[in-house]
Amino acid sequence: MNYRNLSITELHNLLLEDKVTPLELVKEAIKLAKEDDNNAFEYICDEEALKKVESLDSSKKNNLFYGIPVVVKDNFSTKDIPTTASSNILNGYVPIFSAEVVERLEAQGAIVIAKSTLDELAMGGTGTSGHKGTTFNPWDKSKTRLVGGSSCGSAASVAKGIVPFALGSDTGDSVRKPASYAGLVGFKPTWGRISRYGLFPFATSLDHVAYFTRNVSDAAISLNVLAGHDDKDFSSSFKEVPDYSKHLTDSIKGKKIGIIKGVVNSMSDKDIIAVFNKTAEGLKEKGAIVEEVEIDEKLLKAIFPTYVIISCAESTSNNANLDGIKFGARVEGDSFEEVMTNTRTKGFSRLIKRRFVIGAYSLLRENADELFIRAQKCRRLIVDAFNKAFESYDALIAPAAPSVAPEFAHKSDALDNEYLIADNYMAYGNMGGYPSITLPIGFKDKLPFGINLTAKPFDEVNLLNIANAVESVTGLKDLVAEDR
Amino acid sequence: MEFEAIIGLEIHVEMKTKSKMFSSGPVSFGEDPNTRVNPVDMAFPGTMPTVNKQAVINAIRVSNALHMDIDDTVIFERKNYFYSDLPKGYQITQQFRPIGSNGYLTIETSNGPKKIEIERLHMEEDTCKQLHSWDFSLLDYNRAGIPLIEIVSRPDMRNGEEAAKYVEKIRSIVTFLDVSDGKMEEGSLRCDVNISLREVGATKFGTKVEIKNLNSLNNIQKAIDFEISRQSIILEFGGQIEQETRRFDEGSKETVLMRVKTDAVDYKYFTESNIAPIKLSKEFIEDAIKTSPELAETKLERYKSFGLNDYDSNLLIADHDISNYYDQGVKSGCSPKLLANWIIGDVQSVLNRDCISIKEFKITPENLGKLVLLIESNKVSNKQGRDIFAEMVNTNEDPEAVMNKLGISQVSDEDELRKVIIEILDVNEQSIIDYKNGKGRAIGFIVGQVMKKTQGKANPALANKIILEEIGRR
Repeated sequence: MNYRNLSITELHNLLLEDKVTPLELVKEAIKLAKEDDNNAFEYICDEEALKKVESLDSSKKNNLFYGIPVVVKDNFSTKDIPTTASSNILNGYVPIFSAEVVERLEAQGAIVIAKSTLDELAMGGTGTSGHKGTTFNPWDKSKTRLVGGSSCGSAASVAKGIVPFALGSDTGDSVRKPASYAGLVGFKPTWGRISRYGLFPFATSLDHVAYFTRNVSDAAISLNVLAGHDDKDFSSSFKEVPDYSKHLTDSIKGKKIGIIKGVVNSMSDKDIIAVFNKTAEGLKEKGAIVEEVEIDEKLLKAIFPTYVIISCAESTSNNANLDGIKFGARVEGDSFEEVMTNTRTKGFSRLIKRRFVIGAYSLLRENADELFIRAQKCRRLIVDAFNKAFESYDALIAPAAPSVAPEFAHKSDALDNEYLIADNYMAYGNMGGYPSITLPIGFKDKLPFGINLTAKPFDEVNLLNIANAVESVTGLKDLVAEDR
Repeated sequence: MEFEAIIGLEIHVEMKTKSKMFSSGPVSFGEDPNTRVNPVDMAFPGTMPTVNKQAVINAIRVSNALHMDIDDTVIFERKNYFYSDLPKGYQITQQFRPIGSNGYLTIETSNGPKKIEIERLHMEEDTCKQLHSWDFSLLDYNRAGIPLIEIVSRPDMRNGEEAAKYVEKIRSIVTFLDVSDGKMEEGSLRCDVNISLREVGATKFGTKVEIKNLNSLNNIQKAIDFEISRQSIILEFGGQIEQETRRFDEGSKETVLMRVKTDAVDYKYFTESNIAPIKLSKEFIEDAIKTSPELAETKLERYKSFGLNDYDSNLLIADHDISNYYDQGVKSGCSPKLLANWIIGDVQSVLNRDCISIKEFKITPENLGKLVLLIESNKVSNKQGRDIFAEMVNTNEDPEAVMNKLGISQVSDEDELRKVIIEILDVNEQSIIDYKNGKGRAIGFIVGQVMKKTQGKANPALANKIILEEIGRR
């Protein structure tokens, strides 16, 4: 039987009806993972997964995730399973503890079948910079297009139908952008909603646990499992965890939705804009009030440079533990200084070093006012502007990307509005810690593209409700690359 | 030329909280290396800091004792640098908003009292301990993450004596507040001295030298005195002081060069965003202060109010553990004066005899208090009390149990018993008449009354004997 385009709930029902066993599901997923030709995996948990299936507690079979194979991005700590964050510096590192989110999934009976590739240390948006090389977009048979990053392997494995759920992380748009390129739902709940304990930090104040599913309903039921306070993460919220799937199909009549005009205006692809507008019309037909929202273009253009400075600065310190002294791939030297220098020189790629240099430079005493502190002030202005918009709107929407998945050879003009705004604006969701979700709305040249919806902090119930309405407008869900 | 020294001190105090500053790893001293460590202390990827509440309470208490302004918002920064003893590649500290600021301390010097101003007090975490050998270094992560408070004075001290007195006072404060062991020799209280010289009357500061590795009050004084004369000689001969870090060498009693300071390191401070700013409520701060253990001065006043003389009070206060023992004992409700005598006398002599500290002393303060109560209420005599004490030293049994065991549970004191019997006979004349008229049973009634009055503790044979004697006299 082909399980590839089934949702978590559908698989769960098959399991309950004994039409398939957890072992069969997991074996099938591992087989597909081994056949994968998109370079989606760092490590396939062949033996580990089968062992975990054996020890499943069948009294938990009513849990939706019981027996469901899942993929975990390789920047989540997994006990006894190598975790490298696709960086050479962590070659050979086998953690002694699992990330809180991994523990929560496993407690429900989910089976981790593989660790997925990423841009090295989650720094990158192309899925090309990990130590295992380029990860391809499953929708493109010619293997000339990226799937996006940094959560490239997780995106590819869900798009390919290997698993119905994959964990990712989102610091700028690392889940929500690949979701657009891969025809998936990519969801990043509010900062603090899900524990980050065990997620390798890139930029602490922007990092979010996020994940891919193939439909909005799966995104909602997944949050039910992942959300909630964790004593090990001091920034995780004590707010009550509602049932996120309860109001999914409620009417959106009267909901106010704002189109971020500046994003659409910066785009050149008329086809994508047309589909986006049609989707917005569909929401109107369902009773929502859809209007254009003006956000100062200067602020929209400032999102990307602000993000670069803050994320690079925080990344220098977050990765300072990778020094060859305690774990990872040590390169010897005659003194501890030499060990550290040699390890870091050899262990990080040029792109990573470039980010560290930018980050360290912007934090130096003589530069901080002009760079780091200025970026922090700018972040405040950006967040203030969006907070103000959320006073009037239940959600803000815009195309998740200005194009379908670009070719690897594609070069953007770094000072062009389309690049500065439409290609990079989604980081506002990280700056404000807003819940933000991407889902597919159309195809161009047989490649998917998506819409992004963002709401105010801890308003996931409302956001998922509106996302579900989008899904019913487009009818695009449970997409699997193979089928087209 | 005449010079004056300008001295400022930075003191690091290791807190003896249960767990570490930012992890649930246990705080320990003297355990086997790398046995008191959790993934957070080793900076394994993905670990995150959590804030130790008791450490915050301790910092508030010390700030209060140093008359500081207490910031009601707790924020931490990262101090970024690479070093082998620094697991994360940064230290979490409070650079921009120390929890305590603008305080002072008054010290007693040979020239009278002097006020030393204190700039700041902040919380941070300790690094791991290094052991260097000729061609390798060992790292012990037990110490990594132990909570520290750093106390930075203003450059208000002028000589070694003042610096030593200042450190002594800080040590008394942190030990009496139960914040730290304050043991300089074991590194739980560490002191760095910044010292520069200038001509008397000059307003500009001279070049600053830092002295490290000072592990006793005595060495602080010696190091500073040495450094003052070293720098004076250089300046006297027209030389220049280099900006450098020196350490005190115990053997030669001199300061020796460790490293010349080049440009100050840029630590690239920025906010630790894993810890959202914590707003301390007024109640929380007030409660921390209200429930704070007593400082030495306060204790002294209290002891004097018990009627203890200066000498005895100071004896008790000299050792923080002994004064804690005493305070526990006083809670039993016994006479504070009598208890003090027991501790200073009998207890101290056992400690000396067995070469043990009060912490190893078997008798709990509660039980010693009970013993004193027995003596006070004349249930046992002083001599009997000593016998009970001698037994308790080995067993820490309840004093009343020991009393029973040794058979001194009854009122066997003849004089005391006689007093009771006379009282009873005085109000029972009919019984005396009955007895004298040959009614032997009447004596039984009197004995019953004696038992009732002494709550059954009178020795019956003795009581019988005294009753007969007393009746015979009437």
